[in-house]
Amino acid sequence: MPKCARLSLATSFMKIFQTFCVVLFCAGLPATHGQELTKTQPAKPPVVASAAAVDTAVITDNPGPGSSSRYEAIVRIENSSLVPDYRTPWNYGRDSAGSGTGFLIGGNKFLTNAHVVSDSRLVYVKKVGDAKPYRARILHIAHDCDLAMLELEDDSAFDGVEPMQIGELPQLDSLVKVVGFPIGGERISVTSGVVSRIDFNTYSHSGADLHLTVQIDAAINPGNSGGPVIQDGKVVGVAFQGYSGAVAQNTGYMIPVPVIKRFLTDVEDGSYDHYVDLAVSDFTLLNPAQRDALGLPNDGIGIMVAHADPAGSTGEILETGDVLLAIDGLPISSNGLVTIAGENVDMNEIVERKFAGDVIVLTVWRDRKKFDVEVTLKRFLPYLLTAKQYDKKPRYVMHGGLVFQPLDRNLLNAHNLDDLQVRYLYNYYATDEIYKERPEIIVLTTILPDAINSHLRGFEKSVVDRINGKKVRTIKDVNRILKNMKDDEEFIEIKVLGEGRPIVMERALVSEAQDRIKKTYNVLNDHYLAD
Amino acid sequence: MKSFLATFLFILTPIAAFAEASADGKVPAAEVENAIESADPPDAATENLVEKSLVRVNATRQSFDLTRPWEKTSPDRRLGLGAVIEGKRVLTTAEMVANATYVELEIPDSGRKATAEVVAIDYEANLALVRPIESDSDFLKDRRALKLATESKPGDLLHVWQIEDNGTPVSTPVVFTRGEVTSYFVDNAFFLAYEANGTLQYHGGSFTLPVLNGNRLAGMLLSYSSKEQVSNILPATIIEHFLREQADGDYRGFPTLGIAFAQTLDEQFRKYLGLNGREGGIYVSKVLKQSSAAKSGVKPGDVILEIAGNPIDARGNYDDPAFGKLSMSHLVRGKPFVGDEVPFKILRDGKEKIIGVTLERRAAEDHLVDPYMFDRGPKFLILGGLVFQELTRPYLKLYGDNWQSRAPIKLLLADAQPERFEKEGKKKIVFLTRVIPTPATLGYERVNSVIVTKVNGQEITQVSDMAEALKSPVDGIHKIEFDDFPGIIYVDASLAAQINEQLKAQIGTVERLK
Repeated sequence: MPKCARLSLATSFMKIFQTFCVVLFCAGLPATHGQELTKTQPAKPPVVASAAAVDTAVITDNPGPGSSSRYEAIVRIENSSLVPDYRTPWNYGRDSAGSGTGFLIGGNKFLTNAHVVSDSRLVYVKKVGDAKPYRARILHIAHDCDLAMLELEDDSAFDGVEPMQIGELPQLDSLVKVVGFPIGGERISVTSGVVSRIDFNTYSHSGADLHLTVQIDAAINPGNSGGPVIQDGKVVGVAFQGYSGAVAQNTGYMIPVPVIKRFLTDVEDGSYDHYVDLAVSDFTLLNPAQRDALGLPNDGIGIMVAHADPAGSTGEILETGDVLLAIDGLPISSNGLVTIAGENVDMNEIVERKFAGDVIVLTVWRDRKKFDVEVTLKRFLPYLLTAKQYDKKPRYVMHGGLVFQPLDRNLLNAHNLDDLQVRYLYNYYATDEIYKERPEIIVLTTILPDAINSHLRGFEKSVVDRINGKKVRTIKDVNRILKNMKDDEEFIEIKVLGEGRPIVMERALVSEAQDRIKKTYNVLNDHYLAD
Repeated sequence: MKSFLATFLFILTPIAAFAEASADGKVPAAEVENAIESADPPDAATENLVEKSLVRVNATRQSFDLTRPWEKTSPDRRLGLGAVIEGKRVLTTAEMVANATYVELEIPDSGRKATAEVVAIDYEANLALVRPIESDSDFLKDRRALKLATESKPGDLLHVWQIEDNGTPVSTPVVFTRGEVTSYFVDNAFFLAYEANGTLQYHGGSFTLPVLNGNRLAGMLLSYSSKEQVSNILPATIIEHFLREQADGDYRGFPTLGIAFAQTLDEQFRKYLGLNGREGGIYVSKVLKQSSAAKSGVKPGDVILEIAGNPIDARGNYDDPAFGKLSMSHLVRGKPFVGDEVPFKILRDGKEKIIGVTLERRAAEDHLVDPYMFDRGPKFLILGGLVFQELTRPYLKLYGDNWQSRAPIKLLLADAQPERFEKEGKKKIVFLTRVIPTPATLGYERVNSVIVTKVNGQEITQVSDMAEALKSPVDGIHKIEFDDFPGIIYVDASLAAQINEQLKAQIGTVERLK
């Protein structure tokens, strides 16, 4: 989630990365309800069963060959979801189903991936070797780190089952086992491999968060998601994503212990408060001229602040051109790494383990002077615009056939919004501080054709700036302005960004047409604004 | 810019150039013969005369490589035709000789050749005048000068002339069907064109074909669609305008108005504008700064009712006596000359008003982002391996067919919405194009496409500002600030100067400031 380090440089990598399409390993369920459910799971692309999947038998050549009963804390999780359609936000949504893995961590609490139980309507948990489904509730779901905690309605169902213990970050090249319920059969599956790499990586569930990940070469397949990765009998990670075999071989990722522990600590108080962030984009100090200009000794320490977001934790504190020398006393190298326990890790790793309200100390170099500053960490909200949204009903206002919706990643993708203005506002929402003027970017996404709007083709996909002279800052503004017009306002005049004319509709005609349009297009409610 | 017909008008895709179109979809010979038989062949006398008025124009063209602005791309050759006009000059299209490094004229039957020079060129109007360089001035002495047929009308039979490889002229009849306003080969520069129907067959080396009406020049063929058998012809009226404008040696080009407008077909919109009870009129949605319209007092929100006495309909057309409905653009760009004052009747705040609009021309280089660039390279500057240049639309187009979605967003924004940058005082967009890895650029290898805001504390409004600012490094170090990540970079001044010297030896020059 760090609004990362070396942001722009990372971006170009990221694009390539995204085209490889990281796959989330949550399997689709076969159609069991007489509906064509298997065809409606684009959010969880089923991966073609590869040879690796066939090989996933119970491994017997590990120390202490086991029966499946030693894995009784590991459960299969079946989720029925309801995925909203941002193109028809007034509709109920699409039914879908998928399955993954989870494990008991004690006290009727189960851990799994957020993506296994996203947009959930109904969750069932199944024990190893027990066909009985137990209905489960989602206690906490963290979309930014792809973890969720469940509990069963029947809190005695797992009495007597030994919960799994959480271990530590495994060493590179050490052996791990992945246990779960991937495709290829009904019963529990175990695969094994080594820890291949420990690195910061994008969590593709949100698509906008970077955290520590551990890459392993044990086969991870659809259905493994949420399952434990085990070393010495303890959980060292949660299997969650990987590349499809067409892109890279034996490349699976797990959520490592630091991220799991952070989640568990965060929810101890009964609610999940999300990651915090410095909201700084930084730039390496590798060029000697940079160091000379800033008056820094040539000791390889320090990273330059390229941009400190005003809405972030350091907004009031840091300026472009400042140099960060240390974080919590740990020296930051000129490529942004700090050393913890002999390992070089991204400096954001320090922030990663903190919580909202925690204080860190930054050692800053400005105007050739060194000073320490305390930073109270908070969540960086503007970044959410580019994160995939779950468990939310899309908000909208439909008026006179014009459909207004707030911009986010889901909307951008659903409507294929390629207008330059929209792309600019979306991509520069945080860095150019667009959110100050427009906390929400309101897009006229669709026009439901009717006689009263037949001359308005071509205005779709534009950004709404003002309605009857009033600035539109949120979707609620749209509804409020349109619903509270004065009697002497004969026209609705909508100014959109760009160089076109205003959209003009006669209020009387719109009032008369509203019910007709709702009926024609089966729009049950003409708005949904959440809370 | 989005000069005239920007917002809600048709978007015209020029048909593939003739040579290409015919190569793709060559029509069966039989069909062509039929077409020729069914029409009246020009009489022998005309043919003889026309034959004496055609020359081949062979051009070698080379454009600048915008990713390496100190280099030119590999040359290509374009073969076409020209029409001899009075003054021993040859008229051809600008497209034919734009970026030409070498032009020669050739007498079709004898194959005699002469090196030529371009004496006048208008990229927007797509016209150029070429003549043999002095030492060959008698080269065209046996050629006859063509006169212009400016009064051609729909229904006229026109003849498109080509020359076979053996030097024999071939004419194909086409029927002039209608006039329309379209862009020739530069984006967003709209002019009158004739549309004509008839099947053409490709006869080698024929880019730019003279089109005759009787024995006078009716226009130059711009494009031909073999699928629809429709020709687009640059008309004699525009040629006449071009010739008159360049006659006094002070070429000012064709005027531009500088507005974007919206149609007023929408009844609710008309009511809102107070147009009920009236006919026609178009809504001015944007007025470009420094444009003819802005200087004459046209404002966004005005409704243009008449131009030069011609009522404008709700689509933005007027009734042309010769061509019927035609875009009002022609009343501004095609008919009047730069400097002319044209009366506009507008509706503002419910009142009619006459505004005299003095027409000017906005040259490509007067835009924040040059919409086109020929026969010159972009202004650029290299600093120790960092390559900075002024943004042009041809640079953006390097991103391919989908450049509007693939090019960097901030650069696209500068092209699409120059006002927000002009407000900050920018005359040009100076951006970091690429980084040649050198000791001076260590750590900056992956920075690109970012706009320069300041150098050594001085605001950068164009490349020449930057050259000036680089004269004053602070403590031997240049500080370069960008509008985007990474915000600031520092470059060692003496190291950069040293590297510039080395680069100069390798690539010839490290700057182009003029």
